[in-house]
Amino acid sequence: MADVNIIRIENLTKRFDDFTVLDNVSINVKEGENLIVFGRSGTGKSVLLKCTIGLLKPDGGNIFIKDKNILELSTKELNKVRKHTSFLFQSAALYDSMTVRENLEFPLRKGGYNLTEEEIEERVYKNLELVSLVEAIDKMPSELSGGMRKRIGLARAIITEPEIMFYDEPTTGLDPITSKEISELIINLQKQLNMTSIVVTHDLICAKIIADRAIFLKDAKVAYEGTLDELIHSKDKFLQNFFSVDLINA
Amino acid sequence: MNLPRLLIKRNLTFSEFLYNFFATISGLTIFNLQFFKEVFLPPYEIPEIKKHMNELGVKTFPIVSVTGLIIGLVMAMQSLPVFMRFGATDYLPGTVALSVVRELGPVITALIFAGRVSSGIGAELGSMRVTEQIDAMEVSGINPFKYLVVTRIIATTFTLPLLTVYVIAIALFGSFFAITIEQGTNFEYYKNAVIDMLQFSDFIPGIAKTFVFGYIVGLVGAYKGYTAEGGTEGVGKASTTSVVLSSLLILLFDTILVKITLWLWPT
Repeated sequence: MADVNIIRIENLTKRFDDFTVLDNVSINVKEGENLIVFGRSGTGKSVLLKCTIGLLKPDGGNIFIKDKNILELSTKELNKVRKHTSFLFQSAALYDSMTVRENLEFPLRKGGYNLTEEEIEERVYKNLELVSLVEAIDKMPSELSGGMRKRIGLARAIITEPEIMFYDEPTTGLDPITSKEISELIINLQKQLNMTSIVVTHDLICAKIIADRAIFLKDAKVAYEGTLDELIHSKDKFLQNFFSVDLINA
Repeated sequence: MNLPRLLIKRNLTFSEFLYNFFATISGLTIFNLQFFKEVFLPPYEIPEIKKHMNELGVKTFPIVSVTGLIIGLVMAMQSLPVFMRFGATDYLPGTVALSVVRELGPVITALIFAGRVSSGIGAELGSMRVTEQIDAMEVSGINPFKYLVVTRIIATTFTLPLLTVYVIAIALFGSFFAITIEQGTNFEYYKNAVIDMLQFSDFIPGIAKTFVFGYIVGLVGAYKGYTAEGGTEGVGKASTTSVVLSSLLILLFDTILVKITLWLWPT
């Protein structure tokens, strides 16, 4: 892990009407680091990710990705920064009118990567092999199970070989075994491609496998920060309660 | 693109209804401007436009065929007794043709197209919006407005005029069929009667306005779908309101365009 902050979030504030979801949130993520974001439902974890990637416009603060303040960039410049990043949505967000192959080809064809047909084909197969789903190449998303959809979503997210990955609850809705497999896949990919990741999750199995560091969002702020062990074994009543409930689930 | 946020709750008060009305108008205007900003810039996504034109045309083909035939048949059958009363049956083929070419063909085809296509676009894009597929495109550095919206609006703008020409042809066949059965005339007589009455300039305003109607269908469907929120209920709402709004706008613009046409070609 390099000692360079590849993501810097400074005093991020986001409101929906009168409800403040994030209030002066500041986070730094080092190059190659895996940061886990915990928090109860509705505490703004997904909003934090969506602001960081530019899907939501914050009401205040600054967001730097690779030293570029994404809030000051034009759409064209922002898209250049986005070439270094990728996002795995909670629902996988596969394009349901396209086959698995077309889903994987789409970012390569439309994202301006100037690859030959052979290179596209090679990347599609390589990434499907990474998620062990080559046999699903000509299937439609509707023919896939929840776990398969997540894997294909992951394959599509990493096909552009991003430096930074954002995961929005990558294991939600999956059984514990599939959840563990997906988490191991994420950490293996992170090691192979030397990616930096921010992972929003409630899943302790997933967090234990992936986390280098964790933060906990509460009352629109970063309430706790540290290693996963520090958070789990904290003397704080709220954290003890949260993680004991989560451990039972795990 | 910052679009005004609609109130999505049920049972709106009158002031909230007014807010939503003006928010929709301003949203459509911004959407419209965004379309013209994007449409002339590459990439032009020609294969995608062709795909949509093909799908939209094929989807609407059966229903407009039936409608066209019935328009011609019914117009001829309804008008025949009146023309007989005045001893003017020779004018019947031409009068039916004139109505179909100038007004009925374009407007009815547009309304059917709105019902079939605008709702489809609204539901499709709405579903993509609520399942984060549009967000997925955006984070991949792809312009979803260009790929999803611009291509669909171009496709509807150019598909509707083609369908209208087809509907007019089918409707004329329908009226020929009805008149031949009722009057025992032949095709030569029908053709001459139509040609005597119709001029080339009758086709221009009728077909020209279908480009506007096609644009409205695509714009409204895409706007409602692209800005859908609130899960599956939002998708359903996007689909329904697309039809209502595009039909109303078609009728409104028809009135305006008829006035402009009569001003340009007074005869």
